[in-house]
Amino acid sequence: MAEIKLEHVKKAFGKVQALSDITLDVKDKEFFVLFGPAGAGKTTILNTIAGITMPDEGTVKFDGKVMNLIDPAHRNVAMVFENYALYPQMTVYDNMASALRSKLYKTSEEEIKERIAWAAKVMKMENLLERLPSQLSNGQKQRVAMGRALVRTPNVFLMDEPLAHLDAKLRNSMRTELKEMQANLGSTCIYVTHDFMEAMALGDRIAIINEGNIVQIGTGDEIYYMPCNEFTASLMGDPQINIFKARIIEEAGGYSILFAVGEDAVNLPLPKDAGIYKAIKENGLEYVDLGIRPQNVKYAFEPTEGYFKASVYSYESIGNKSVIVAECGDYQLRMIAPNGLNVAIDSDVYIRFELDRSILFDENTKKYIVRYDEENFKALANNSEGK
Amino acid sequence: MAGLTLNHLYKRYDNSGKKKKTKNDFAVKDLNLVCEQGEFVALLGPSGCGKTTTLRMIAGLEEITDGEIYIGERLVNKLHPKDRNIGLAFEDYAMYPPLNVYENVAFNLRAKGVDKNEIDKKVREIAPLMQINDILDKMPVKLSGGQKQRVNIARAIIREPELLLMDEPLSHLDGKARQAMRTEIKRLINKIKCTTVYVTHDQLEAMSLADKIAIINFGVLQQFGTPTEVYDDPANEFVASFIGEPPMNILETTIISKEGTFFFTFENSNLQIAVPKRYYSVVSDGFKCKMGVRPMDVLIGGPDSKGTPEEIATFENLGDERRIGIHVGDVLMMLITEDEKRYKRGDIIKLEVREEKTHLFDIETGDRIREKTE
Repeated sequence: MAEIKLEHVKKAFGKVQALSDITLDVKDKEFFVLFGPAGAGKTTILNTIAGITMPDEGTVKFDGKVMNLIDPAHRNVAMVFENYALYPQMTVYDNMASALRSKLYKTSEEEIKERIAWAAKVMKMENLLERLPSQLSNGQKQRVAMGRALVRTPNVFLMDEPLAHLDAKLRNSMRTELKEMQANLGSTCIYVTHDFMEAMALGDRIAIINEGNIVQIGTGDEIYYMPCNEFTASLMGDPQINIFKARIIEEAGGYSILFAVGEDAVNLPLPKDAGIYKAIKENGLEYVDLGIRPQNVKYAFEPTEGYFKASVYSYESIGNKSVIVAECGDYQLRMIAPNGLNVAIDSDVYIRFELDRSILFDENTKKYIVRYDEENFKALANNSEGK
Repeated sequence: MAGLTLNHLYKRYDNSGKKKKTKNDFAVKDLNLVCEQGEFVALLGPSGCGKTTTLRMIAGLEEITDGEIYIGERLVNKLHPKDRNIGLAFEDYAMYPPLNVYENVAFNLRAKGVDKNEIDKKVREIAPLMQINDILDKMPVKLSGGQKQRVNIARAIIREPELLLMDEPLSHLDGKARQAMRTEIKRLINKIKCTTVYVTHDQLEAMSLADKIAIINFGVLQQFGTPTEVYDDPANEFVASFIGEPPMNILETTIISKEGTFFFTFENSNLQIAVPKRYYSVVSDGFKCKMGVRPMDVLIGGPDSKGTPEEIATFENLGDERRIGIHVGDVLMMLITEDEKRYKRGDIIKLEVREEKTHLFDIETGDRIREKTE
């Protein structure tokens, strides 16, 4: 197992700058997730580590050794792809043994047998070894692909959306299994995904990638509770965070937040909190973007003190809970509600924000300024490290 | 009034290659379904279950082996697709690439020979509804997936069909576009009040869009009901595990009796859950069945909890919620919590189950075992 370091890696494909300036440091035995939208450059980073793509500039280091000029075969990395890339004519056993039997590894059949038996146990596929790939379900195929990577005891596992092909149910159960497996093995793993639940669930740390740049690196909790900008905030969470243009005004010995709903302005007093008051004073904040997650929006169907009025745009069940989309002014506001409510479309709904769970962003740069009780969340994020 | 009625509908593909016909030859088997006028019905099931075949039979693109299809009061078995007065929107958009959006939307009306001014009026009417106002002049290649699908649906509804059929219209879109489009479709159908049959394999889509869901497996209707009914009161194990994500925990259990109280017990586990009183008339000491409980109905008990102490096998922090897995015998039992406390593997928690939310299923058939009603 190894530490992986990228230093100022740049890569262009023709005129397209795929990677602008990537510097990252993956610790030994870490599960490191590269997360971002399609075309962000996640897979290019992975290929650079594997040696499939040569960087134009910068260095790739394994355990402090520069690997730029070492070809992929000798880097001892194991890759697992979205499409499983199994040899169709070989049994599962032979698929798993194929790399070990190659000239590069020349492992004795006895040892191969031992290692496959071990990998099969880890991946819970002892009963599949004699089958051909065509006799396997998609989930089983992906397990074989991972088992095949496992038997080689590589420096690092590189996984490129290995679960993306699977249907939602299988994906989630495989995700749980993968986490259990990695925890048992204690292997270094770099994992590419565009699914935020996968990133949150699997990653010890997550790097948010966008347009060839690293936007933020941190633990799941850090990124979820203290996203460095609105882009990151909107990636983490489903349904995504609500963001409003708002104005902070000082009145009656406290602060209020003011934002426009159509013609009207809604005035919400900020709950007293030393941390955020300090941040507002220090930065002289006035015009900000207010971010609030759907589970922190409360609703009522009767006019209620402290609630403002909006109209129901849609009401959708998402399984164990539902989402109410409310229209207020130009905004569509998403909030979490229980199932089975009797909500008519275009009827009135009254809304309150739990402002003590809100995040403030800069209205121009869209960067994170402060969130309520930031200190608590810092403590939470620290506690969850090394989970 | 019924918008669509399927009466003992059968479909059998003639597999001339096979010597013997088996009962599995039926792609659709004895399907009975009544959709009320204006209702949004989802046909939901895994791939290959016969949902698209059913849709194609309704559209007239597929011959039916046996049974009857009524659209409104009309028997349409023998009618040509173009005479059935239906609108179709499929997964691939099938737009005419040399025509711009306006012409694509207008095409069906032009083909029917509708007056030019009348066509213009209708296109202008529907464009804001589908939010394609700004793209009427664009060519299909310039459109995003979401825009294409909006045009596609506009084209289907401009003829004011009696019945709207959609086959996985959202499966081409990525997560965010799909979520936004789902909201739009829901609103639109609500406005035009057209009877709609919607095929999907995504239970979330069915749950969020449909007034009623028909769950199909191996060509056989498993349950037909509102989203709440199929979620809270599943007819069998298949429906219970197909609806909901993460799926319902379903575990084999032996019921034991202790001093007049029945408990679910599990092999290789010391977990015990009280059997709800309403099932007392159908269970007995040593009774074997399957127990189902949704992950949101499994709870972490407080310090004073009488719940069974269990070791955490997996902990997933998903931001909005956290999922915890616990080994009960060989099965990983999942629970969901919004509690912000962080756990790790190996932590011990006290496990509580909302007993009244447990379901019983037959081990062999998977059918629900229900309490006896008077």
